[in-house]
Amino acid sequence: MEFSFYEFRYAPLSIQIAFIFIVVAITCTILAYLSILRGRYKAYRREKKLASLHPVIDNLLMEHILLNDELASDTPAEQVQLPVEVFRLPVFEHRWAREALIDRLIHYRNNVRGSMGEQLRNLYIQLNLDKDSLKKMKSHKWDKKVQALAELTNMNMSIADVTILPLTNSNNRELRAAARHAYIKLSKNEPFKFFDVVTEPLLLWDQVELFKIISTTEHIAIPNFAQWITYSSNKTIVSFCLKLVVHYNQLSAVHAVIKLLDTKDHYLRADAINCLGKLKIEEVQEKLIHMYDSQPLNCRLEILKALGRISSGKHVGFLRQEFLHSTDFEVRKHAAKSLIRNAWAAKGLIQELIDTATLENKLILKHCMNPLIKF
Amino acid sequence: MESTSIWDGLARIYENTVFVYGSVLLVTYALLAVFSMISVRTYAKKDNFNQDITLLGSPLAPGITVLAPAFNEGMTIISNVRSLLTLNYPKFEIIIVNDGSTDNSLQQMINEFDLIKVDFAYNAKIQTQPVRGIYKSTNQAYAKLMVIDKVNGKSKADASNAAINAAAYNYFVCTDVDCILDKNTLLELIKPVMQEENKRVIATGATLRIANSCEFDEGVMTRMRPPKELLARFQEVEYIRAFVLGKMGWSLLNCVPNVSGGLGLFDKEVAIRSGGYDHSSFGEDMELMTRMCRYSYDNKIDYAIRYIPKTLCWTEAPVTIKVFNRQRTRWSRGLAQLMTAHFSMFMNPRYGRMGLIIFPYNFFFELLAPIIEFTGIIYYIVMTCLGLINWPTAIILLFFVYTYSVMITTLAILWDQLTFRYYKTWREVAYLCMTPFMEFFLYHPLIVIFALRGYFYFLTGKKSTWGNMQRRGFKTAAAK
Repeated sequence: MEFSFYEFRYAPLSIQIAFIFIVVAITCTILAYLSILRGRYKAYRREKKLASLHPVIDNLLMEHILLNDELASDTPAEQVQLPVEVFRLPVFEHRWAREALIDRLIHYRNNVRGSMGEQLRNLYIQLNLDKDSLKKMKSHKWDKKVQALAELTNMNMSIADVTILPLTNSNNRELRAAARHAYIKLSKNEPFKFFDVVTEPLLLWDQVELFKIISTTEHIAIPNFAQWITYSSNKTIVSFCLKLVVHYNQLSAVHAVIKLLDTKDHYLRADAINCLGKLKIEEVQEKLIHMYDSQPLNCRLEILKALGRISSGKHVGFLRQEFLHSTDFEVRKHAAKSLIRNAWAAKGLIQELIDTATLENKLILKHCMNPLIKF
Repeated sequence: MESTSIWDGLARIYENTVFVYGSVLLVTYALLAVFSMISVRTYAKKDNFNQDITLLGSPLAPGITVLAPAFNEGMTIISNVRSLLTLNYPKFEIIIVNDGSTDNSLQQMINEFDLIKVDFAYNAKIQTQPVRGIYKSTNQAYAKLMVIDKVNGKSKADASNAAINAAAYNYFVCTDVDCILDKNTLLELIKPVMQEENKRVIATGATLRIANSCEFDEGVMTRMRPPKELLARFQEVEYIRAFVLGKMGWSLLNCVPNVSGGLGLFDKEVAIRSGGYDHSSFGEDMELMTRMCRYSYDNKIDYAIRYIPKTLCWTEAPVTIKVFNRQRTRWSRGLAQLMTAHFSMFMNPRYGRMGLIIFPYNFFFELLAPIIEFTGIIYYIVMTCLGLINWPTAIILLFFVYTYSVMITTLAILWDQLTFRYYKTWREVAYLCMTPFMEFFLYHPLIVIFALRGYFYFLTGKKSTWGNMQRRGFKTAAAK
């Protein structure tokens, strides 16, 4: 040993470094193997424990809550005393088991309707599981907070606006999204209030999630989205509101959408044109055609699509002109598509175009007329 | 006396250069290991809260075109197309390009999927070999399917470009028709695009794995196993290291050098404006990625390329040295082509991270690595013959490189295992963990030789095509 140390001490620097790295590499490799083993063992144990606990929870819920005839009365859910004693098993003293119970309660609550859902919520409260969730809310870890928000939202537990609203602007995307969902679902007065305070852009993923929450939450008061279309300085909020206007066919917001046609942001302008087309607002056609020549390509395409969607038959001449004279392939294709959508007013014209058009234009027309081709 | 000192001087310069080179490479790998751990763990943590089901039923989901070129894939084409049709996504289309197959691939598809030729307004935004016809199904069940029949372009790039021209949506996923995709592939690949806060995501990639010993049922992966054949298992380990450790590490720095040709999602507008795939390139996937980055820098697009550590694609790996040789020779030739074609980006601050990090890394540690290793071996042999080797020192250094390479690969397996636990039994994991111990002696020399062969072909301009992979097909799950 003494000899080895002596050798090491007087070896060249590169050899000394190599020695150290050999030791580090061997140690790291062994630790990696041990971590793999430990990770797999822990996951195996967890799966095994959950596999034995889930049937217990399911049986308890089935027997004492879901199939309990006494609970199926007309008495308001909050006045019913549930058989909570049967749920006070020693295993539920462990946090992992209580979390499994919360997960199962949420699972069942999402799959039953009416008073049974309320009884499951009652059980969640009477077993003090809401305290677990609120404790997680206070954690400094974002993932715990997100978990808590999801649990409280699913159990329809009210949370103070002052607690959630700041989180709707959190730097962490997941936390921000969870807080927005919770706010929409749980806020009794103004579920869309956070639209006023959002400073961060609403990502496409956020929009998908919010759209789902808004369109599937029962008893939600849908506001007039014109207020944000007109006044919000957050472009993504405006864009999202345009999608909601289309979804709810909110004709009261049309005036605000038309005003948006004058915005300098051409992406937003294209969204507004898209919205007006989908709402089939006939009166706006003249304005769209008037502005057409000064627009970038994305807005032009949206105008052509809108004329097709509105299908008033009044502007087939304009569509014909664009189809015949535009040099851009996409413009011709969309003009042709809209002409076909206006076919009831342009039957003779379409036949005439098929007979006289160039080979490429004829192909475009046939493409647009073929029901097998959607785009 | 004087000539001896010149040789001594040269030897010392060479040794020092190699020492610095090796040290930088090892430090880079160590950093990548740390970065990849951060990004894999972050991904796994965040993924728990992203519910795919939300996107599945949403009218706001962006449309995606899946394109898959096929050349003489008659043996498996029907099951492969069926597999693609089972993808889980609300808005997508599938474009299969029959790239002038000489077998009955096209006829099989026409019969199986009730296809008829349609008048399709095909706009050749990227020039390709002529398109002979475009087919759509009369059966509503296959409404998402389109087949393009074109003249063989002697490259996957040409076929992919034809599909990009016909694609309806703003994003396209490029894959090989013989790859097996996870049913949630599109959901997973579009997520980074939809979740990016400040940048435009121009491409997303995911981990690929070797399909050789996995079990499949009707084109769906049912049981994942490490390959039984040694050569394929080496490739599995190499893929884990390259994707989970390498690309995830680079992803944290927004420096992903390449999105694999086997599976990648791309922004169609940027891909078309960059000129699409280069049909003359042997590494068309990396070449396109480089050009898309270059285009983004030139046009001031603040772009991002993202990678996800989940395995979404399984591909059949070569199991014979001959086919493996052909594949790797082509890859290294593609790398040499790429470096030559875009050398103006090298250390060019105008190209930001691409010019200052990715390109120098690829040049020094991907392109030059086989050459330096080869010269090192020659030097070793010469020094041995001259009796100038200090054996204890040499063995210690060799052992150092060996243990370090085993550690890096084991860490990649660890990140993968801690996050996803793909293999069912610990025996399978142990089987995989043993592989890095042999890789250094058996697999790595092959990689070096085939890479040098690729460079030689590149320098001599030897004619070569991207030949048939000679597939053996996948193992089907036994009926229960």
